[in-house]
Amino acid sequence: MARRASSSVHPLWTLGIVGAILAASIIGGYFLYGFVNDPYRTLEPLDVASYLENSSSMRQNIYKLDCTIDNQLAWSRTEGRLFSVQANPGGDILPILVPAKLNDVNIQKGQKFFMRIIVGDKGILQVEDIRKV
Amino acid sequence: MKTISKVLPAVCAGLLLTAHAGAQGAGGGFNSQPAAPQPAAPAGNAPASGGSQQGSQSFLGKDMPSFDPGTEVFTWDGKNWNVNDNRLFQARFEKYLNAPEETSADDLHYQQIIQRILDDLAPGNATIARVDEAFSLLPKASGYQIDARLCDALADAVYSAWRSQDANDRLARANEGLADERKKTEWNAQMAAADNKMDAPPGGKSRDVTSQWAKNQQEKRDAGMAPYVQRLAEVNAVIKANELKKEVSAIQMKIEFQALIVQFFLQRRFQHVLMATRFYRAVFTDGDTQLRVSKEAKDLFASAGGMPPTVGTLDSLANEFIRDAHEGVDAYKFLLQQNELESATKRLAESFMVGEYLPELRTLPREQKRKALEFTQKTDQLISAIDVKDYTLAEKIVHQLEVTAKDFDNSKPMAAVETAKTVSAMHIAKAKNAAVSGDRTTLEEELKAATEIWPRNPALAEVSGMIFSQADVQQKALLDFDQLLSQRNYRQIYDDKIRFIAAAALDPVRRDQLKKVLDNMEIIEGAIIRATEISKQGDAAGAWESVEKAFAQFPDDNKLNQVRADLTTQAADFVRTLRTAEQLEQKEQVGSSLAWYLKAQKIYPRSDYAQEGIARLVKKILPET
Repeated sequence: MARRASSSVHPLWTLGIVGAILAASIIGGYFLYGFVNDPYRTLEPLDVASYLENSSSMRQNIYKLDCTIDNQLAWSRTEGRLFSVQANPGGDILPILVPAKLNDVNIQKGQKFFMRIIVGDKGILQVEDIRKV
Repeated sequence: MKTISKVLPAVCAGLLLTAHAGAQGAGGGFNSQPAAPQPAAPAGNAPASGGSQQGSQSFLGKDMPSFDPGTEVFTWDGKNWNVNDNRLFQARFEKYLNAPEETSADDLHYQQIIQRILDDLAPGNATIARVDEAFSLLPKASGYQIDARLCDALADAVYSAWRSQDANDRLARANEGLADERKKTEWNAQMAAADNKMDAPPGGKSRDVTSQWAKNQQEKRDAGMAPYVQRLAEVNAVIKANELKKEVSAIQMKIEFQALIVQFFLQRRFQHVLMATRFYRAVFTDGDTQLRVSKEAKDLFASAGGMPPTVGTLDSLANEFIRDAHEGVDAYKFLLQQNELESATKRLAESFMVGEYLPELRTLPREQKRKALEFTQKTDQLISAIDVKDYTLAEKIVHQLEVTAKDFDNSKPMAAVETAKTVSAMHIAKAKNAAVSGDRTTLEEELKAATEIWPRNPALAEVSGMIFSQADVQQKALLDFDQLLSQRNYRQIYDDKIRFIAAAALDPVRRDQLKKVLDNMEIIEGAIIRATEISKQGDAAGAWESVEKAFAQFPDDNKLNQVRADLTTQAADFVRTLRTAEQLEQKEQVGSSLAWYLKAQKIYPRSDYAQEGIARLVKKILPET
C-alpha cells in the first residue's frame, strides 16, 4: 500500500521561517527605534554634495544633519563654537557653527549628534538644535 | 793725421759738392734744418743746425766746413750732421759697397796712364820731352769713364798756360823792338839838340840882343827835339803796358791753374792733384807756387801746414790722403779677418770718404765689401728700428750683430731697448690695474703712454686686445642681461650667472638687479629641490605645495612651471580640493569654502594653504577669535 505523502512542515523550514521573522523583527525594530529616536525625522537631510557645490542656493534652508564631531575649530563666548563634523553617511567634513545659546551642550570629538541646521549667510551651517545620538 | 783731420772738412765738402746739387732738398740727413736743440736721438744721425745763422749769401755758406773727429760731427753752413749716419754719404757708401771691383783691362790701363803721367812729371824726370809726353797722355786718360774728363780740364789748363806764355813771349819780343826804337829816338833827340849848338852867338855887348838870341836858340832846339821826345814817351808807355799785360796774364793763368788744383783737391781726385801740381811746376818755372785763393780757403790750408799755402802744400796733402786711404783699406782687410766688422766698416767708411776715387778703394773686391755692406745695412736697420721705437726688431738685430761682429758695442742700443721695455711694462701694469678698477681715464692715459714709448710692444697689443675683448664681452653680457631682465627670463640669467656677475661687477644698478634675480632664483631652485625631495617620499601634495608657493612669486619660470605641472598631476585630488576651496572663498561662500579647505587638510594635514584658508575663514565666521 502506497504510503501517503506527509503534509507536515519540515522542521528545518520552520526553523528558517522563525529565524527570518526574528531577524526582520530585529531589523524592523532597529529602524523603528531609529525612526522613533530621530527627533528631526520630519526634516530633510542636508544634501552635502549640493552644499559643497553651491551653498548659496540653499541659503536659509533648514536641514537635519547626522554627524560625528571631528574637531573644534574656534570658540567665541558670544558667538558660539565652530566645529568640523563628519557627515553621516558619506564622511564629508563640514563646518558647523554652534551658537552661544547651545553652550550648555557638551560637544566632544567623536560624539554623534542629530542637528537641525540652517544654511545661514555666506553658506555657514548654523545649528539650531542638537540632540545627542 | 793731424793734418788730415784739419783738412778733412774741405774734403767732406768736396764729397758733398760732387753729389747731386738737389740732394740738399732730399729727405736724408743732409738737409736744412733750423737751429734747434739736438733731440736725444739714439744714434745722433739726424743733422741739426749749428750756431750760425741761416741766410748766407754765398753758395757754400759763409763759414768754412769743420769736422769734429771725436763726435764724427761735420759742421758746414750752420748745420751739423754725423758723417757716418748722413743719408747722402750712406747712399754713396752703399753704392760703392755694391759696386764690383774695378780690375778690368780698361781700369788697369787707365791707372797705367795716370802712373805714366806722374812718372813723367816726377821731379828729376820732367824734361821738356817727358812733359810733352805727359801732356799727350792726358786726352787718352780722359777717355775713360772713371776719369770724368778731368784730365781734359787739366790739359786745357796746361794748354791755356802755354798759350799765355807764348803771348807773353810775343810781348817780350815787341818790347825788345820798342826798346831799340826808344834807343834810336833818344839818339835822334840828342842829335837834334846838338845841331842847335852849332850856330854862333851874335856879336855885340847888348844884353838884350844876347838874351833874345839865346831864347830863340832854345825855341829852335825844343822844336827840333819835340817829335823825338813825344815818340820816346809813347814807346815807354807801350813798353810799360806790355810788361803790365805780361805780368797780369801770368798771374791770371796761375790763379786759374791753382783753382783747378784746389777743385781737384776738394773733389778728392788726389791723383789729379798730383798731376796738376807737377804740370804747374813744369809750366810755371818761375818758382812762384804761392796759392792765390780766397782768404778762407787759404786759411784752411795754412792751418794744416802752419805756413802760407803753396802748390806744394796741396801736393803733400794729396799724398797724405792717398797714404791714409791705403792704410785704411789695409786696416779694413785685417779687421775683416778678425771678424771685427764694426771697426772694419768704420775704417772703410773713413777711407771711402777721403779716397773714393783712389785705386786702393776702387779695386777692393766686392765680396769683401759686401761684408761691410751687410753690417752697414744691419746697423741702419737698427737705427731705423730704434727711431720708430720698434724695440723687438732692434733687440733682434742687436743679437744678430753680436754674432756677425764680435766688436759690436751693444750697450747703447740695448740700454735704449731695455729702458723702453721697462717703462712700457710699467705703464701697461698701471693700465691693467686701471682696467680692473674701472678707471677708464687712467687706463687710456697709461695705454697712450705705453704706446708712445713702445708702439709695437707685443704685450701692449695683447693687453689692448684683452681689454677691448673684455669690453666687448662685458658689453654684450650687459646687453643680454638687460634683454633677459625685460623678458623676465630669470632662469636664463641664473644659468649664465657667472658671465653676468663678471659683467655687472662694475655697474651698481645692474649689480643690484642681478642680485635680486639671483636671490629669487635661489628661492625657486630651493623650492624645486625641496619639492623633488618631498615627492621622492611619496608626498605629492606636500611637494606640490612647496612648488606652488614659489610659483605664486615667480609664475614665469619655465622649470618651476614644469615641476609644478608634474606635481599637479600627481596630487590632483588635493590640488582640485584646494582650488575649489579658493574659488568658493572668492565667491564669498564661506561655509562651502571652509568645508573644502577642511577636506584638503584631511587629504594633506600639513598643508599650509589649507591651514591658512581655514584660519582666514574661521576669522570671518568668528571675528572675535
